[in-house]
Amino acid sequence: MLRQKRAAEIEEVLSHYPERRAAMIPLLYMAQEEYGYLTPQAIKEVADILELDPTDVYGVARFYSLFYLEPVGKFVIRFCTDLPCALVGAEELYRYLLEKLGLENGGTTPDGLFTVQEAVCLASCGTAPVMQINFQYFEHLTREKIDEIIALVRAQGLPPNGKGLHFAPRPQHQ
Amino acid sequence: MSADKVTIYVNGQPVEAPAGTVIVEAAKAAGVEIPVFCYHPKLTPVGMCRMCLVKVGQPARGKDGAPELDEEGKPVIRWFPRLMTACTTPVSEGMHVITDAPEVADAWRGTLEFILTSHPLDCPVCDKGGECPLQDLTFKYGPDLSRFYVPYKMHFQKPVPLGELIWLDRERCIYCSRCIRFCEEIANDPVLEFADRGRAQEIVTFSDPPFDSYFSGNTTDICPVGALTTEDFRFKARVWELRNVPSICPHCPVGCNIVIGERAGEIKRIMPRANEWVNEIWICDKGRFGHHFVGAEDRLTVPLIRDEDGSFREATWPEALEHVVNRLAAVISTHGARAVGGIAGARAANEDLYLFVKFFRDVLGSPNVDHRVAWPAGTGIEQAVAHVGLASGSNLAGLGKGSLILLVGSDVEEEQPVTYLRVRRARRNGATVVVAQARPVKEDAEAAHILRYRVGGEAHLMAALLKVVLEEHEGALDKRFDKLKGAQQVREAVAELALDELAGASGVGVEEIRALAGLVAGARDVIIMVGREALVGAEENAPALVDAAAALLAATGKAGQANSGLVALWPHNNSQGACDMGVLPDMLPGYRSADEVGATVDEMLSGAAGLKALYIMAADPARDRPSSRPVLEQVDFLVVQDLFMTETARLADVIFPAAAFAERAGSYTSLERRVQRAEQALRPPGEAMPDWWIVAQLAERFDAAWPPYATAVDVMAEIAKQVKLYKGMTYEKLEGEPVPWSTVAGYHHIYTGTSVLNTWFGQQWPVQAEARRPKYTLRWSGLRPPRREQGVRLVPRRRLYDHGTMIARSHLLDRRRARPEVLVSSQEAERLGLGEQGGTLRVQANGTALVASARLEPRLPAGLAVVAFDVDGTAWNALTEGGLRAPFGTLEKVEEAEE
Repeated sequence: MLRQKRAAEIEEVLSHYPERRAAMIPLLYMAQEEYGYLTPQAIKEVADILELDPTDVYGVARFYSLFYLEPVGKFVIRFCTDLPCALVGAEELYRYLLEKLGLENGGTTPDGLFTVQEAVCLASCGTAPVMQINFQYFEHLTREKIDEIIALVRAQGLPPNGKGLHFAPRPQHQ
Repeated sequence: MSADKVTIYVNGQPVEAPAGTVIVEAAKAAGVEIPVFCYHPKLTPVGMCRMCLVKVGQPARGKDGAPELDEEGKPVIRWFPRLMTACTTPVSEGMHVITDAPEVADAWRGTLEFILTSHPLDCPVCDKGGECPLQDLTFKYGPDLSRFYVPYKMHFQKPVPLGELIWLDRERCIYCSRCIRFCEEIANDPVLEFADRGRAQEIVTFSDPPFDSYFSGNTTDICPVGALTTEDFRFKARVWELRNVPSICPHCPVGCNIVIGERAGEIKRIMPRANEWVNEIWICDKGRFGHHFVGAEDRLTVPLIRDEDGSFREATWPEALEHVVNRLAAVISTHGARAVGGIAGARAANEDLYLFVKFFRDVLGSPNVDHRVAWPAGTGIEQAVAHVGLASGSNLAGLGKGSLILLVGSDVEEEQPVTYLRVRRARRNGATVVVAQARPVKEDAEAAHILRYRVGGEAHLMAALLKVVLEEHEGALDKRFDKLKGAQQVREAVAELALDELAGASGVGVEEIRALAGLVAGARDVIIMVGREALVGAEENAPALVDAAAALLAATGKAGQANSGLVALWPHNNSQGACDMGVLPDMLPGYRSADEVGATVDEMLSGAAGLKALYIMAADPARDRPSSRPVLEQVDFLVVQDLFMTETARLADVIFPAAAFAERAGSYTSLERRVQRAEQALRPPGEAMPDWWIVAQLAERFDAAWPPYATAVDVMAEIAKQVKLYKGMTYEKLEGEPVPWSTVAGYHHIYTGTSVLNTWFGQQWPVQAEARRPKYTLRWSGLRPPRREQGVRLVPRRRLYDHGTMIARSHLLDRRRARPEVLVSSQEAERLGLGEQGGTLRVQANGTALVASARLEPRLPAGLAVVAFDVDGTAWNALTEGGLRAPFGTLEKVEEAEE
């Protein structure tokens, strides 16, 4: 149970807002981190914490594309194919990534490691082509770089670059 | 022009409207209908569908704030650069609205073309077809052809269930969010939401069970397309083939106005009939889906007589009637008239009940009549309602700032669901709601104060409240109070009570009581609603609870004032009418005291009345009050008049088959004392006859000189003459002017679901306190300390979907039906060693033991357990006498192996 497992963190998040409902998105991220994706149980638990009907939470979870209602891999790759990235070859690179992992768009590798999704603009057009793995940016992509990143992540997980290791951005309060 | 009214110009025509009104409503006053989908007068405007776009302009003002005038001296109108949504734009002084400009017509056409890009146009198989706002507005304003490339239409799997009662066709949905807003705002069941975005957007529910609301059916009425339809009406008929018959819901005392959609001798659907004084445009799902008992296979269709071998044989009406007359006459000649008793269920219509009493008192000469099978007798609340009840002319929708609703021991969501909607609406309009209840209930959500009294202390709480108001708020007291008979005695009795002792007995703190007293003293309107649980919990102090409530209303001058007064939250649809018609052992019709006082229902059913013959109409005591079974078995002659072979009917010597509410005309009186009429929609099955007819036939065979009643109209005409409270209430007088929802004839369905316009609004009878010189007497029954015993206090809780004779036959509701279970508090669960998942318990009380599953209710106070009744057979009814006892009992954990 989320409530027991991360009690202190939940209290901390709730303390930032004048009403409980406002903590929904951080709590959904927390639940997603805990369960890998938003299971019906996870949604009910979040609703319980927020004293809301689960339908309310479910509606929000389905509104945002970064909440997963189906199981996803340990690493979710979101690959930008919007215009600026496409102009520098993102579509071709994305096909390369899919072939490399043997996946269709949205698919997950059988080892449960990678899920690949086409994404709209990731707001880093200056460093196109761009992809995210679990919210961590990988920029100026080339075929070689993709090979390197996939190999590295497979071997060691995400590099600890000090940010993006958590799904939810931590509130910066002192 | 008053300060809050403004003048606007709709297509050049001046219209006056209150400032802040949205353009749609203001335009209606000018006879201009602006098409809408998402807008609904009962819901917060959202401007989502864009159908209501109109051209809007404001008078231009110069830099000095003065209106700019043109060469002719007329104000210059500055038009907004874009069309505005008429449903979200409030009117302001001098505003110009144009609805007949070409760009407006273009916008309406364009919006419809856009909405239809994702609409399947499957009107021929759509239940909404024929009363569909989208269909009608498309015909009126839409394009002939779509420019949209058809293969691009959005397709979804055809309807998906939102639970087992409501289907959602996502292709038809136009995302107006009326259903979502209804659930959130009106019903306080926020169990519908949008999910996903753009064209993939859909309505979802994630509650357990899905679409968990007692009001879900209303969303199908206000859905402006066929996206939401009910399982009950799905593919049952085309709406234009239905005969719409005005009726009154038979399930609870709210008296919701309904329309029976009849076709080929069957009820195809039940829909609400708009009555802004009673149910607005809503009904609960019990009312909507609970009609299947009428057409049930197992209805009684012929009179039955018990043969010598103990089995029933079919008989003709003359034979059965003759048999009953002979047997009753024999009992009377041997044992006297008082050996005959009559119990009339409060489900019967006023006409039935009036003649039942007339038959007993005038023809048989027996005063033994009562209707309170499911309501505690001896509390005096029947009389108190006649004295200080909610005054005539009251409308809960008129409550707002300065109004106070005090609910005592209520559970309106389960027992009178639409009352919950009305209380919620009053609260949203600014009224203060105070809930006094021993256990959590849904109306807590509306409460400014929640007083958790201790069961048994209800009367002490009310007495304490009265004491504080009398002694600490003298300025708030009404001068006429002391002129009332009994007022002095009440004052003296209350003066002798110690506030801290009362508070201690009630379990509510003195300061909380003082706060409530302050609210009562300062309120403009005070409504006190008393539920069954309050009277049952108070036990022998129930009369004092009633007395204190009545005195409180009289003392503050609220008694007799519109929008104030006492409301009894009765168990049945016509409990109020049964009291009015004198189905009480100590009162004649219209609450005149009877010279000859008969036996109460309790005395009749316990055997204390020593009856030899019993006549039971529309009641099933053998099931509801299992302790009465030996008496019913032993009585020499038992007549039962009912729709079904009930537990009681099985014990009868003669059974008369009765017509159901939809099969006869009748009038019913609601808990607000509104007398309302219902029309006949169907023919009764077989030889079943209306209750009043059967009683009249018996009277005739006793040579009573009764006028020949041909129809219920004749009986009501007599009631309107003989019962003072119902003076002049003939059927035609129960009508009024319809409240139009639209200026376009036949367009009312855009707001109400059907185009049926209601004119049968009924009439509230005035209470004693409304008289210029009120003559009623205040009573003071005295208070004793609450009973304290070892064990857990079991509070009986009635559920909406129970196993009652009528609702049990709507199998649609089976999956939501109340389960036999015990709710236990956290303390109790800990003591019993139950986990969060609950467990199995042995419950013992009132001489009954049963094994039940237990569920944890953390909000429940310690020492309390909530038990259901009427949930399964008779054991659960025996536990609490069908909800009429709150016994102390024991709970023990049963290990799984023992089960």
